Amino acid sequence: MKIAVVGKGGSGKTTTSAVLARTLARSGYATLALDCDSNPNLGISLGIGEEATERLISVRDAVDAGEEEHASSAEDLVARFGIEGPDGVRLAVVSAIQNPEPGCP
Amino acid sequence: MRVAFVGKGGAGKSSLAGTFARVLAATGRRVVALDSDPMPGMAFSLGVAQIDAGLPDDAVEEFEETGRRRYRLREGLTGTGAIERYAVRGPDGVHFFQLGKARGARWDNTRQHFGFQRVLDDLPGEDWSVVGDLPGGTRQPFLTWGRYAETFLVVAEPTPASLLTARRLARLAVTGSAPRVVVVANKVRTPRDAEEVAERTGLLLLGAVPFDPALDEADRLGRAVLDHDPTGPTVTAVRSLVAALSTETRAR
Ligand SMILES: Nc1ncnc2c1ncn2[C@@H]1O[C@H](COP(=O)(O)OP(=O)(O)OP(=O)(O)O)[C@@H](O)[C@H]1O
Ligand SMILES: [Mg+2]
Repeated sequence: MKIAVVGKGGSGKTTTSAVLARTLARSGYATLALDCDSNPNLGISLGIGEEATERLISVRDAVDAGEEEHASSAEDLVARFGIEGPDGVRLAVVSAIQNPEPGCP
Repeated sequence: MRVAFVGKGGAGKSSLAGTFARVLAATGRRVVALDSDPMPGMAFSLGVAQIDAGLPDDAVEEFEETGRRRYRLREGLTGTGAIERYAVRGPDGVHFFQLGKARGARWDNTRQHFGFQRVLDDLPGEDWSVVGDLPGGTRQPFLTWGRYAETFLVVAEPTPASLLTARRLARLAVTGSAPRVVVVANKVRTPRDAEEVAERTGLLLLGAVPFDPALDEADRLGRAVLDHDPTGPTVTAVRSLVAALSTETRAR
């Protein structure tokens, strides 16, 4: 199953997503938590910690840096650039706007 | 002054920005309260009944320049003229404007989006103050507002996710026209909360707003906190923010 959690800022999307993901993982599903916010915080709610969340590299950045050539599939990207969290949930960040890059506005 | 309220979703940007804009307007300054979040917010904290207050499509015209599609204000329409004509007048004389609400899956707001940028480009800096209420996160501050804001006012709660967002915003602000970045601690329960926000963002702490049940109450009633509890802790704290930023702006 694929579940998208949406709603207004501060209404509890990230918290709901994290609890859903860990609950599913505990019931035995192989679970991927995909943070689609360009300001990704899901790692904090999943319980992987503030520092690990801040350090995570987004799949988009990895692809832009040319990693796609070395990764054979979407699963491979998620496996290589995601991180393992509590209850075995795999977390990957889709795309993040968090560091200034030369040449950007 | 030109100040953009930024921060994580739900940090309190709209509540504080709307109140800030009215307090500033009440001092006699000409203030545009500019809501650039496609989700509703600032109209409530301003106490403006009309939620939809955008530029009409015919205020903006399309033209081509070196093969690219560009947008400008209609012939004869100035930035000040656009505000006087199309902005909604709110309490305390504030001018309320919106950058364009999402009205459906395919509703195109390109004209509005660029129209606003032209309005801001064309405003005489000394005459007008702009108070922007942005969507949560890092996208819009980085992609659009860097050019227009003199100050990014980061609203941060004393929580890891809110502080992480504030640090990202601080890093991103060094690009573009490099606006000054300050932080406001929101929903603080102890003085230590505010210190922690300053320490963990590395930003200048402009002020702190206490956790205020009256604000939650005002929200549930759909009222501006400025009308619901005009002398309460939130409004008092926002008055100090306006004073602090006015002093800072003059000193620069
Ligand atoms: N100082 C405060 N004390 C208590 N509650 C607060 C305080 N500041 C904000 N809130 C509450 O937090 C919630 C979010 O506030 P607000 O809508 O202003 O945030 P926002 O940053 O604009 O959110 P969004 O990202 O969705 O635009 C509201 O329910 C509001 O009442
Ligand atoms: Mg808001």
